[in-house]
Amino acid sequence: MKTAVYWGCVIPTMQYSYEMSIREIMPHLDVDLVDLDNASCCGTPVQSVNMVAAVYLAARNVAIAERMGFADLLAVCNGCHLSLFEAAHFLRYDEKLREQVQRLLKEEDLQYSGKMKIWHTIDFLHDMIGEEAIKKAVTHPLNGLKLAVHYGCHILRPSSIGTVDDPENPRKLDDLIEWLGAKSIPYPEKLDCCGAMLMLSHPDAAFTFTGLKLKAVQELGVDAFVDSCPSCQNMFDVRQKSAAATTGAKLNMPVIYYAQLLGLAMGIPQEKLGLNLNRSPIDEFLQKALVH
Amino acid sequence: MNSSMTITDQMTSKKPDAELKRRVLRKIGEHKPYSCYQCIKCTSGCPSMKMLELKPHEIVALAKAGFIDELLNSGIIWTCAICLKCKERCPQAVAPVDLIMALRNLAVDKEAKVPESFLQSLSMILECGHISRPQPTITRKLEKIDREKLVLPKFKESDERFKATFMKALESRTEGESQH
Repeated sequence: MKTAVYWGCVIPTMQYSYEMSIREIMPHLDVDLVDLDNASCCGTPVQSVNMVAAVYLAARNVAIAERMGFADLLAVCNGCHLSLFEAAHFLRYDEKLREQVQRLLKEEDLQYSGKMKIWHTIDFLHDMIGEEAIKKAVTHPLNGLKLAVHYGCHILRPSSIGTVDDPENPRKLDDLIEWLGAKSIPYPEKLDCCGAMLMLSHPDAAFTFTGLKLKAVQELGVDAFVDSCPSCQNMFDVRQKSAAATTGAKLNMPVIYYAQLLGLAMGIPQEKLGLNLNRSPIDEFLQKALVH
Repeated sequence: MNSSMTITDQMTSKKPDAELKRRVLRKIGEHKPYSCYQCIKCTSGCPSMKMLELKPHEIVALAKAGFIDELLNSGIIWTCAICLKCKERCPQAVAPVDLIMALRNLAVDKEAKVPESFLQSLSMILECGHISRPQPTITRKLEKIDREKLVLPKFKESDERFKATFMKALESRTEGESQH
């Protein structure tokens, strides 16, 4: 199956391990990824400044996928996924905005029909690929591992425009983990925000969001913390030390992308999954995962 | 609007601004703040309330009363983490976060207090189509590494045609009423 993939900004410029692990796991699931030609930012960072320009950016990337002849587009970043979903909603109901955006798209001979099916890593794996195919691809089950999951705000809310999973009680990432043989441990802070969007204006508050959630997860005694958004990973993994310093918590929580975890369960070598790029202390966890 | 009909801010003796209020509310649906009955569900679930004293229900009340300039200049609109819980949970579909975003857009238009970093992302998108160019990174063992060494496909910057169109997009303002 051929699917268009949209990486956004954070993944191809900073979070290389997400891109590497997605590129590695998809062929094992018979998915042939095709990058968008001349893709750009999804519009999320522009929303605070100019909503019209933000919707234009989102629609532009979808229109490129349309021109390339795709009906499905995999937007692996939570922020991009929301931006493309929101744009679809605005453009469906706001006629004047639709005209404005179509006029802009025309400058690059693009057209937006709104028919594209937008996927995120989590619902793509859970609903499109499904339990049977994933279990079949697992050669190194992660039996006995205890994990906690983080969905990230922007694939869960607002449910009024359609989302990846239930906004208050999501299960898909938990299912995906359990299909690998591991156990997903429920916890009260599961829906809490990582704080990434505050990095531009209030970094200390952002680190406090991150630190408090990591502290709660650490107290669960889980083997690792699993997420699926580059901005969340940037906070929980790369910025874990700053989060610890800001909150005064002693943090040593292994943080890993679901795509990396699935890759491990498929027996893909660690370097190919970018596991040497995670900054959080994951070595002990990796040893434990590889024993299984 | 007849100014004798409106309230006065006791702290500053300022009157609300009806025109600015219309400009903001048009972006989110003019009826929305009027549906709010101050149940405070938004504020009780707001993570920025705990850290930065953002009270979404107050933002809605102030906008309804027309104190837009005060909101634009207070800095409080930049404390929202955009977690979208208020939008999900509001029983009246008011979506305080949409109002906050509309206020941010207006703050930019009016050149009010806008955190510098928001505008930096814009200039990067104009330069290369993305908020950043690929950054060199380090492994856990502190070795320097980049896209090329990781054998990832070459990162492509956007062409001139995109840049010109994005520039035009930035000059656009909302013409219609958004249906959030």
